Amino acid sequence: MSQKSETRYIVIAPSSSITPDQITRFIHTMAVDVQIKETCFGVIVQGERQVVANVLTEVRKLDPNRLFSKVRGYPIGDGRRCRAEHGSRPGFTQLEKEWKDLPMFEVGLNCANDGKICELPKRKKLPISEMKRICEEVCEQ
Amino acid sequence: MKVFIVPPNSLILFDLVERFGHQPLSIMEAIGEKVNSKEIESPPLNVTVDDVKKGLKYAGIEVPSGIRGRLAVYGPLIDEAEAAIFMEDAPYMFGCVGCARTNELVKLLVRKRKIPLLELEYPTSEEEAKVVVKRVKEFLEGLKK
Repeated sequence: MSQKSETRYIVIAPSSSITPDQITRFIHTMAVDVQIKETCFGVIVQGERQVVANVLTEVRKLDPNRLFSKVRGYPIGDGRRCRAEHGSRPGFTQLEKEWKDLPMFEVGLNCANDGKICELPKRKKLPISEMKRICEEVCEQ
Repeated sequence: MKVFIVPPNSLILFDLVERFGHQPLSIMEAIGEKVNSKEIESPPLNVTVDDVKKGLKYAGIEVPSGIRGRLAVYGPLIDEAEAAIFMEDAPYMFGCVGCARTNELVKLLVRKRKIPLLELEYPTSEEEAKVVVKRVKEFLEGLKK
């Protein structure tokens, strides 16, 4: 793989109705020179850096706030990582956790794009009566 | 601008930084260069002499080799960074990216650079996620000015 080449994950949020198969077919219809691998969480795309960037821009338009992407260090089907060749996947637990949390960030992105005011409610001080009640409860135990 | 992210392999931060028009500096690209390099016999299971030298620039000789090895990858990214985003207490900060001492040193090195820095807590609810995304957006939009 040359230095100009890039491998990218395109991860579909669980809240999206798009399937990895749809994205794969969509990229095939673009007729660009990239390698695509369909996975359970989305697709992996590999090719010239600029071509992959163009593919990502187009794919994002399908569901902008529910499709996320990052670069992958290893190329597609690399023997050191590919499960078909008994490679290990030490980063998968992280990807799985982030994938589960994507709907949260989708809500955040929608909110940020709409320009809504997002503030957490300020923490109030605990009333003394409540504090007294907690102390008594703990002391009784 | 080039933005260094912590956790350095975070999908969410990488995507947000790119989405708001900046270049994320992540370890995926740094590792990609290593694992695709023909100079190493069985990457990434061994290191070159240059890696050891790079690590020594960021941590002393008495520092455990694991930390120095990690800093050999993180260090050049920190040097290159023009801004940084830390997301603390990410639940997946274990394993390869979970070395607490390395993460402490990374934070120190970033702070020493005196570049714009945004520190966040990993959100646990939608309400918190809204605030996180808003803060990241404001921070990254502010960098363009």
